[in-house]
Amino acid sequence: MVDKIKIENLSCYYNKKCVLEFLNLNVVKNEILGVIGPANSGKTTFLRTLNRMNDFDATYSKKGSVYLDDDDILDIDVETLRRRVGMLFAMPIPLPMSIYDNITYAPKRLGFVTKKIDLDNMVESVLRNVSLWDEVKDRLCVSAVKMSGGQQQRLCIARVLAINPEVILFDEPCSGLDPISTAKIEELMIGLKEKYTIVLVTNNVKQASRVSDRTAFFLMGKLIEVDKTGKLFVSPKKKETEDYITGRFG
Amino acid sequence: MKKVLNLIAEKIIFICGIVSIIFVVLIFSFLLKEGFSFFKHFGVLKFIGGHFWYPSSDSASFGVLPLIVGSVFVTIGACTIAVPIGVMTALFISEIVPKYIRDILKSLVELMAAIPSVVVGFIGMTTLVPLVKSIFNLPTGLTAFSGSIMLAFMAIPTIVTISEDAIRSVPYQYKQGALALGATKWQTLRRIILKAAMPGIIAAIMLGIGRVMGETMAVMMITGNAAHIPHSIFEPVRTMTATIAAEMGETVKGDMHYKSLFAIGLVLFLITFFINFIADLFLGKNKNT
Ligand SMILES: Nc1ncnc2c1ncn2[C@@H]1O[C@H](COP(=O)(O)OP(=O)(O)O)[C@@H](O)[C@H]1O
Ligand SMILES: [Mg+2]
Repeated sequence: MVDKIKIENLSCYYNKKCVLEFLNLNVVKNEILGVIGPANSGKTTFLRTLNRMNDFDATYSKKGSVYLDDDDILDIDVETLRRRVGMLFAMPIPLPMSIYDNITYAPKRLGFVTKKIDLDNMVESVLRNVSLWDEVKDRLCVSAVKMSGGQQQRLCIARVLAINPEVILFDEPCSGLDPISTAKIEELMIGLKEKYTIVLVTNNVKQASRVSDRTAFFLMGKLIEVDKTGKLFVSPKKKETEDYITGRFG
Repeated sequence: MKKVLNLIAEKIIFICGIVSIIFVVLIFSFLLKEGFSFFKHFGVLKFIGGHFWYPSSDSASFGVLPLIVGSVFVTIGACTIAVPIGVMTALFISEIVPKYIRDILKSLVELMAAIPSVVVGFIGMTTLVPLVKSIFNLPTGLTAFSGSIMLAFMAIPTIVTISEDAIRSVPYQYKQGALALGATKWQTLRRIILKAAMPGIIAAIMLGIGRVMGETMAVMMITGNAAHIPHSIFEPVRTMTATIAAEMGETVKGDMHYKSLFAIGLVLFLITFFINFIADLFLGKNKNT
């Protein structure tokens, strides 16, 4: 078991107010790490720290370190970091352009795919990966905003796959979706872990139990417990964890 | 009781709406009436294509071409200056500076819009005109170029405020999505934010052009008012608006000269109407997507 991401003594602050306290956690290569916890427990902050999406927020600051493959993420050029660590948001947000352009936007800009034929192939392969190809192959030039919510979220996943990341961060990717779309995305995530390392933040405890290999439980900015998903859900060590997964609060 | 109040309110709103429509229709039909009675005596083609504007000589000639060219010169000059500066200022204010500077800058720009155009013209006459004269070594500083600069100054607030609104109404998620895909801040600005805000920005530019086209006081004071077709922007020109304002007082109500000014007004109205129409097209498109 190789650690893809190591988090050491991480504390995060907005306006000096601590929202994530002294976190130590590893993400193992090719696993799905589920992160559960009630609202405002710092899950999103945790994710956004991993690919430095919080850098633009002037009120944000952090202590401690995060390592990606043993490199401190502060030493990695921030655009490269975000290419290596892709992110998906709760609200699927296709860019205001066609389906095709949504996928090719980043690879073209980064310059690692330029030829038309390669772009076409890449679009087809990532769309097949998210099983969207058959649904949209006839309307690749249509604005992506016209797709359904579940399709948009899968397009956003395809868009991330197109930049060939090593880690993918999901922030409550199914919170706005119907059960069928949710099932599709869960299936997709399980398939993706062969090639990628995944961190899945979810407000849906059942989803974590279905999908993740290990699960971490956050509460009010603290990591309460992290363990193999089977163990955590069957015999949690901490009382808070048990209360949360049995639905007694949160 | 409530019903009666409702009814009264409804009627008042209805009347206000009708009144403003009636005003527009009245103004337009008045312009049309005077304009057409002018065209009956002096052909449209001779009017639009004529090179000479001698409205009060014995063999009067009403060639409006020099005035149209004058307006176009000044407008193009003003836009060349105002559009890049205005759009970049809008980008700067909405995306680059920290919040407290943004508020200061915005109020400054709004203040700029509040300066009366006579004051702008007056300041331009005493500062800019001599400067242009000495820098370019011209016989006079009262040129289309000076007029362009002053008009740009007046169009910039319009362009900045409306573009800024458009840029800031681009959903935050677009920016976040692009950044998360590894785009730099600059690439996100240019490829995503500018692109998404483009309809609004174009509408802002159109409204800015409309403002420049219709401006009278400042151009009258600064452009030199020579009604001839200029060869460069460093020559005096006269615009359509300035002509109407300057000559209205010398005409006799009902004579050809008087009517010719209405004909100019009609041309001006059509041009600004056309510009507003294009702006509406873009604004409408913005709402649909
Ligand atoms: N941009 C921000 N500025 C200030 N406070 C924030 C910001 N984002 C989140 N917070 C605060 O940080 C805490 C953790 O939030 P978050 O990480 O979004 O939790 P979760 O994703 O678990 O709901 C909350 O108390 C929230 O109010
Ligand atoms: Mg969250």
